[in-house]
Amino acid sequence: MSDQIEAPRVTARLLDNFIGRHVRIVGQVIELRGDQAVINSDGAVTILLNRDAHLSQNGGAQIIGKVNPDLSIKALNSVNLGDNVDYKLYGMVVEVTHKFPQIFLTGTSQ
Amino acid sequence: MLTDTTAAYGGYTKTGFGAQGGDDSGGFFAGGSQQGSQGGGGQKNFQDESLRPVTVKQILEADEAYSGADFKIDGQTVTQITAVGQVRSINPQPTNITIRIDDGTGTVEVKKFIDVDKQHEATNPGFEVDQHVRVFGRLKSFSGKRYVSAHLIRLITDPNEVNYHMLEATYVHLYFTKPQPGDNGGDGDGMFIDGGAGAGGMGGQSNSKLSGCSNLARRMHTYMNSASGGNEGVHLNNVVSGTGMSMNDVLKAAEELLGQGLIYTTVDDETWSILEY
Repeated sequence: MSDQIEAPRVTARLLDNFIGRHVRIVGQVIELRGDQAVINSDGAVTILLNRDAHLSQNGGAQIIGKVNPDLSIKALNSVNLGDNVDYKLYGMVVEVTHKFPQIFLTGTSQ
Repeated sequence: MLTDTTAAYGGYTKTGFGAQGGDDSGGFFAGGSQQGSQGGGGQKNFQDESLRPVTVKQILEADEAYSGADFKIDGQTVTQITAVGQVRSINPQPTNITIRIDDGTGTVEVKKFIDVDKQHEATNPGFEVDQHVRVFGRLKSFSGKRYVSAHLIRLITDPNEVNYHMLEATYVHLYFTKPQPGDNGGDGDGMFIDGGAGAGGMGGQSNSKLSGCSNLARRMHTYMNSASGGNEGVHLNNVVSGTGMSMNDVLKAAEELLGQGLIYTTVDDETWSILEY
């Protein structure tokens, strides 16, 4: 994974604004099936996992990946965040990320 | 030996001295200028020594007026910063360990110098690629490249700390860029708001001080503000007759105001004066 990829934080609702781009999404794993997972991040998102993914059912996951046209995400990097994840807090971070792009999103000036 | 040296004194020592002097002064000046810029800068801007939570994007976009100048974010000088991010690469060197962190807003290099007596830090830094870390350090630039010179890099075990940091960075950014609540003028420097309000409108200031108080406490404080009791303050009976509150209510309100540090007792436990500050 290249160093320079910017991956803004999103939730399921924002995915259609990011088709073809890299995003970072945190959600709870609600389904784990082979190389696919479904996570809930203010809505269900299908994740196409890479081989070195170690997610756990009902645990939190952070996925960095590319958004496909069908709004699934092709994971480049996945981290198991464990059970102690405050999804509401993550939702707030996503909200401020897009409300104050000047400190979060590359290509936006102050 | 001694005679040899003495014999060679003229020529030998002269060149020796010159060369040594040159080395010395070279070393001295390098050290001196570094010390000067750091020590002098630190001394001059001592009040700016704060620890600011930032995103990587803010680090990369911090203003550096000229090479070696203090960095500014949102117009505020920043010296020490804290950032969180996912480790993208770890590169141990003989004297330092260099990592890249990515927080979703960008990536930045972080350098941590290794203590001589903590060599194990180089081989086992306590975190791995893809884990989240929190970094404390100073913003530096070297030939146009930004990096963080870290005092401490530590592993984040609670994933919520990452989100907490992002909200904290946002809060501090907004604190410096948006007008403050209760900021009457809206255009002033935050430092002067209090003083300005104090001079301009006493009411505004006492209202903001009373924001956490009950109605009874507010009534009592407002009355005491208008009734100047001189040095001795205002007696319980005067407050009761002045506000129309019951004696019990006044005592409760007084207790609250005392607890908030807004009034103090004077000649006895039932006479109070407003604490001006």
